[in-house]
Amino acid sequence: MSAGYIDELHEAFHSDLVYRAEEIPLECSPRPKEMEQTLHGVMKLNGLVIRSLEEIAGRGANAVTYRAGKKFGHEVAQYFQKREDVEGALHELSDLLRGQYSFEVWKPEDKETFIIEENGETFIYLVFHDCIVRQTLRRNGLDQGGPLCQTLFGYVVGAIEEITGRKAKLEIVHTGPNACLKKLVLK
Amino acid sequence: MDIRVDKDACVGCGLCVKDCPMHVYELQDNVSVPVRPNNCMGCLSCHEICPAQALEHRGIYPARRHYIDIKVCEMLRKVI
Ligand code: SF4
Ligand code: SF4
Repeated sequence: MSAGYIDELHEAFHSDLVYRAEEIPLECSPRPKEMEQTLHGVMKLNGLVIRSLEEIAGRGANAVTYRAGKKFGHEVAQYFQKREDVEGALHELSDLLRGQYSFEVWKPEDKETFIIEENGETFIYLVFHDCIVRQTLRRNGLDQGGPLCQTLFGYVVGAIEEITGRKAKLEIVHTGPNACLKKLVLK
Repeated sequence: MDIRVDKDACVGCGLCVKDCPMHVYELQDNVSVPVRPNNCMGCLSCHEICPAQALEHRGIYPARRHYIDIKVCEMLRKVI
């Protein structure tokens, strides 16, 4: 390795900035536009972890990622307001997911209300629009609905359970490149 | 939701009819017709599956697309 290259590296990682102990950075650096490579790096890494997990654990991969997501959902939502009504809980959930996921409550034309009762089940349809999981899967050429989606499932279920104190279940109805339809089953 | 099918492009394969979970389309005289457009939740999987690129949705919410690599697109733009 030439001395010139080492000097160049040294130069790149050196600044004249003065940092004091009490100075807490209030903004991300660098600016979001310059973070594209970082985002792609994280998406690639996540994709590789999930692919390897599937290769080794097979169908068990879903259980692992679901559980991880659920734990995370419970952990994050414990600081949110407890709500007994479903509408309020979904409101809290949407605040919780902001920036990574966005969803809307949805119903087919022939249903009167958003809370649907069918075959002894009570559920709500959620259409997920923005979703970092979908972006990661598409970045890596992976199928939707696999273990990485289960992380989000667990996350939503964990958060809803924590907020409402009721058991819940989330099912995939359909996945698409622009939105996914999910069914939140309330117990 | 306003869904349009390019009748000249549609090859009547029926893939959109099978794929749509909300039964938005029906085949009529070998052409897909959006019979229940208000049931559409904007997933766009019909766009992905249609071999003729015959479908058009208006008034849809476009999800954020983080997976597109700006550098790769810039390179492609130079050669295309
Ligand atoms: S976007 Fe989805 S819900 Fe809408 S017509 Fe296409 S497949 Fe059906
Ligand atoms: S998938 Fe495309 S080509 Fe096939 S029936 Fe539907 S609109 Fe026509």
